[in-house]
Amino acid sequence: MISDRVKASLKREFKTSRMAQLGLILVLLVIIVATFAPFFALHDPTEQRIGTGDGVDDDDAGVIGDNGVEEDDDDDIDPGDIDDADEADEAESTDRTDVPPLSPIPGHQFVGETEEIQRVDHEDGTFDIEIVETEVNADRAFPLGTNTVGQDIYSRIVYGARISMLVGILGAGLAALVGVPYGLAAGYFGGRLDDGLMRGADVMLAFPSLVLAIALVGVFRDSGFHTTQLPDPFVLAAQSDTVPNVLIPRADHVAAMPESITFPVTVTLVVALVNWVWFARIARGEAISIRTEEYVKAARSLGASHTRILRQHVLPNAITPIIVLATIQVAFIILLEAALSFLGFSGTNLTWGADVESGRGDLATSWWISTMPGIAIVIAVIGVNLIGDWLRDALDPGIEGESGGM
Amino acid sequence: MRFIRFFLKRLVHSLFVIWGVVTVVFFLRFLTPGDPTTALVSPDAGQDVRDALREELRLDEPIYIQYFEYLTDLMVGDFGNSMDVLDRPVTEWIFSAYLIRSVELALAATFVAVVIAIPLGVISARRRHQPADYSATLFSLFGISTPNFWLGIMLIIIVAVPVGFIPTGNPGPLFYQALGDAVTQGNFGGLWDWLRHIFLPAITLGTYFTALITRLTRSGMLEEIGKPYVKACHAKGLPETLTLYKHVLRNTLIPIITILGLQLGTLIGGAIVTEVVFEWNGLGQLLIDRISSRDWTMIQGIIIVIGVSFVVINTIVDILYAYLDPQVIDQ
Amino acid sequence: MEPLLRVEDLTTRFFTEEGQVNAVEKVSFDVAGGDVFGIVGESGSGKSVTALSLVDLVDSPGRVTDGSVWFRQPEMAERIAEDQPEAVDGEMVDLQQLNSRERRALRGSEFALIFQDPMSSFNPSITVGEQVAEAVEVQKRAKANPRALRSRTQGFGLGKFLTTSMVPTVDYVSDEAHARAVELLDTVGIPDPAARATEYPHQFSGGMLQRAMIAQALATETSVLIADEPTTALDVTIQAQVLQTLAEIQDEHDMTTVLITHNLGVIARMCDQVGVMYAGEFVERGTLEDLFERPTHPYTEGLLGSSPSLDAASQRLQPIEGNVPSLFDEEMDNRCYFADRCPKAMHECLTKPETYDASGSESHSARCYLATQEYDSADALPEGYFDD
Repeated sequence: MISDRVKASLKREFKTSRMAQLGLILVLLVIIVATFAPFFALHDPTEQRIGTGDGVDDDDAGVIGDNGVEEDDDDDIDPGDIDDADEADEAESTDRTDVPPLSPIPGHQFVGETEEIQRVDHEDGTFDIEIVETEVNADRAFPLGTNTVGQDIYSRIVYGARISMLVGILGAGLAALVGVPYGLAAGYFGGRLDDGLMRGADVMLAFPSLVLAIALVGVFRDSGFHTTQLPDPFVLAAQSDTVPNVLIPRADHVAAMPESITFPVTVTLVVALVNWVWFARIARGEAISIRTEEYVKAARSLGASHTRILRQHVLPNAITPIIVLATIQVAFIILLEAALSFLGFSGTNLTWGADVESGRGDLATSWWISTMPGIAIVIAVIGVNLIGDWLRDALDPGIEGESGGM
Repeated sequence: MRFIRFFLKRLVHSLFVIWGVVTVVFFLRFLTPGDPTTALVSPDAGQDVRDALREELRLDEPIYIQYFEYLTDLMVGDFGNSMDVLDRPVTEWIFSAYLIRSVELALAATFVAVVIAIPLGVISARRRHQPADYSATLFSLFGISTPNFWLGIMLIIIVAVPVGFIPTGNPGPLFYQALGDAVTQGNFGGLWDWLRHIFLPAITLGTYFTALITRLTRSGMLEEIGKPYVKACHAKGLPETLTLYKHVLRNTLIPIITILGLQLGTLIGGAIVTEVVFEWNGLGQLLIDRISSRDWTMIQGIIIVIGVSFVVINTIVDILYAYLDPQVIDQ
Repeated sequence: MEPLLRVEDLTTRFFTEEGQVNAVEKVSFDVAGGDVFGIVGESGSGKSVTALSLVDLVDSPGRVTDGSVWFRQPEMAERIAEDQPEAVDGEMVDLQQLNSRERRALRGSEFALIFQDPMSSFNPSITVGEQVAEAVEVQKRAKANPRALRSRTQGFGLGKFLTTSMVPTVDYVSDEAHARAVELLDTVGIPDPAARATEYPHQFSGGMLQRAMIAQALATETSVLIADEPTTALDVTIQAQVLQTLAEIQDEHDMTTVLITHNLGVIARMCDQVGVMYAGEFVERGTLEDLFERPTHPYTEGLLGSSPSLDAASQRLQPIEGNVPSLFDEEMDNRCYFADRCPKAMHECLTKPETYDASGSESHSARCYLATQEYDSADALPEGYFDD
């Protein structure tokens, strides 16, 4: 589907452009970190700690409830978080009030002991909460500090990369899957069908993506955020006895990581639903220009069916601008997902947007809580945008600025 | 004559899209599962209370009747009453300080963007591959890649907290009131107050647009400068600035204007997040509040107002486009 | 008589990533006042770059690297002589030695250009009348104060532009200029000029637009008109009409013209002197009779053979076999560049010929050994010599 000429052009542009190289490095970095999160994370990202560091009092330290996510359904929330939050709530009633949470400035200041909450299950089904003192060296343990409930920001960023990249890539893919056939049909057949389809697209365009996304999330929320638990193969492998642990580096460390991550299905569907129309526009424009080409007319006169022509001739020729748009859309959807989870419309807390929001109450004292996850967003989006620039410069599809709108 | 025909055609199209927007928003509510009154009354309210509410909200009538009634009500500007405890007409909520604040913020951000971005793009294109160009390119790369809620937070940490006199919560006075004070009483305190309140939100919201316009202007200028008519301008001895601004920039901006019209959604979406970060009491903040309380008439009203403003502005943009690019009408 | 324009060893190179391109190599010619000098050659021979080099409009990565363009302008010579005596020779000024501002100021006031493709040479979003009027205005401002030419024409800054766009009555282009533009459109034979002046380029036909471009060139009341393929982009029937207009105007205003074309018919009709260009060089130069009656260089002969002449339209086109050579510096051998296509190539041609006087008028010269010796078939290169 991609010709040698295109490949050569991509290669040449890549060799001469420092920015393209940087983009690829950044994106690969984020993807590798996201894939192998249990190996990169230093702690269980959902594990909470209260300690005696230079923490700050925080009234709404609980992870749930302060960002608009309703707790009407347990499925809504990252199970790790739920357990911990329940414990935290119980802990709060006992000793939370006097002990400021641990949130050391990244890299220094906190050296000493911390108190960790542990749950001890008894055989009769009851359980106790015990406080265990452990020694912590912040230099190593929390390179980017912790948030107000003592979760390691670095580990959370590592895990947040998974949600961002998954939602970004799947969202853009789904949007393309809907938008491209729609636009190709409109452009190829033209006439009334085109008028009708593009009027529909114009209506979609009248809604700003974020507004529509919020409204749709609002609609779907009442039936519960659809989230699904994606099991983490590395952790399961490390925990299981069938896989020899020598195959997995640092198996003990990995085994202690969360067994699954909460993947926000609703949000992924919603971001695809609000962005497909950009694919439709591009695909339509390409189809219109390809329709009049001689080889398409020739194929038609030889009796090729419309579906065959669309698949054999129109789509391959329209693919370049669609690829470029898809790249730009990934960057855009990462931003959109971050905005949604920042506003609390996500269904999971282990995302960069939610982490930025979680530090909003303590900007004057604990600046790093909001700052660090945001830097991760910027790195990921810049990486994807640079790749988009590279593809656009090399392939020149002429879709400058037609990326979408939040 | 040609222009009038173009204008009428565009107008009919816009009315259709507005109808589409209203329809989509109306049926959005019916996707919501369950009884909409559940969220509105206390859990232990009796069935009679619910029935009364259903009656009042006309929920028991067939959908098409409800739809028809909603449409006819909208035509006379009746968006219904807020379903929340504060039983006020939706229009009264929307067409108030909320709307003015949002418009003020959007205009301030656009102003920031246009004033900075166009000269920056022009300079960047003229000094291609020079330090000024690289800085502008880097700035615009960061600008389009930074989520604006985080940018707002960074500005609070870096600017507002150390400086002290720049507030980060609750908006200041409305601009027209502040201006009125300044004009009638010579009291410029209100204007200053307005300025220091809107300063950070406007930069937060404007950065993405600034970056986008800079990028578009730069690449557009570079493309235009290579065209033969520019050489013709040089050949006839036209002053460089005149060539650049009257001929090149004009042709560069024509396509940019359409893109910006389409990107208006970014501005509105960005505004919601920015309003939340700075606790700016605009439509975005209102929308988020109402979504939490499931106040559907309000949500519908706000989304319709946003959608309609989008359509209206894009219609204006298209007409402006036709005015600037004479080839459009003939197509 | 001293020429109005004297070009000596003009050399223009392009410094691209792929290597150096010798687009124009040591081109020399004189044009007397009121004469038409034609430059003819195939596309890619460097003739358009020569035209642009004369007025310093070669785009980066191209640059005029050597040579001089002497232009007779007594007032200017006097003024320049104070600062740069080396750039002045009697009444002549070497434009290549002037600073770029001075050179820029000459465009539109002393030099006018007509480009090949009128559709892309007009700004699509500004009315034709306005664009012609701009040229009038540039000339008017230059004439009003020739000494301070630069400051007056260049002094239209951003601030002033912003004011003019907000207050339409204060415009760069004055009402008189608009009126004059309409007169000019009338002169070049555009019907209903007042109405057409308010139309946009896309509403014009190609021929009409080229006439408008001629009007724009006329507006400048220039000394030298440079016409780069003025009729190439037009329909054949329109070509003749536009050429007629151009000839009439040239005659009437006694304009000194440098005409660039690949069409010998146009040359035959318009020119007094002709230079034949091949691979960036003049291979033959002389009066119209010299070239048409006594062509010396085989390339010129070939062109004449391949030209559908105006007199004998039925004559069959005889293309010259082969392609225009690459102008990349590293691919150019030190031989006669035409040798590989030349039907009369000899062993001498493997060393580069000088420019020799040819028979005919005193200005007739050719860069070919055949100007000094007769063709000797015994000395010919074997067929397929360059086919490796």
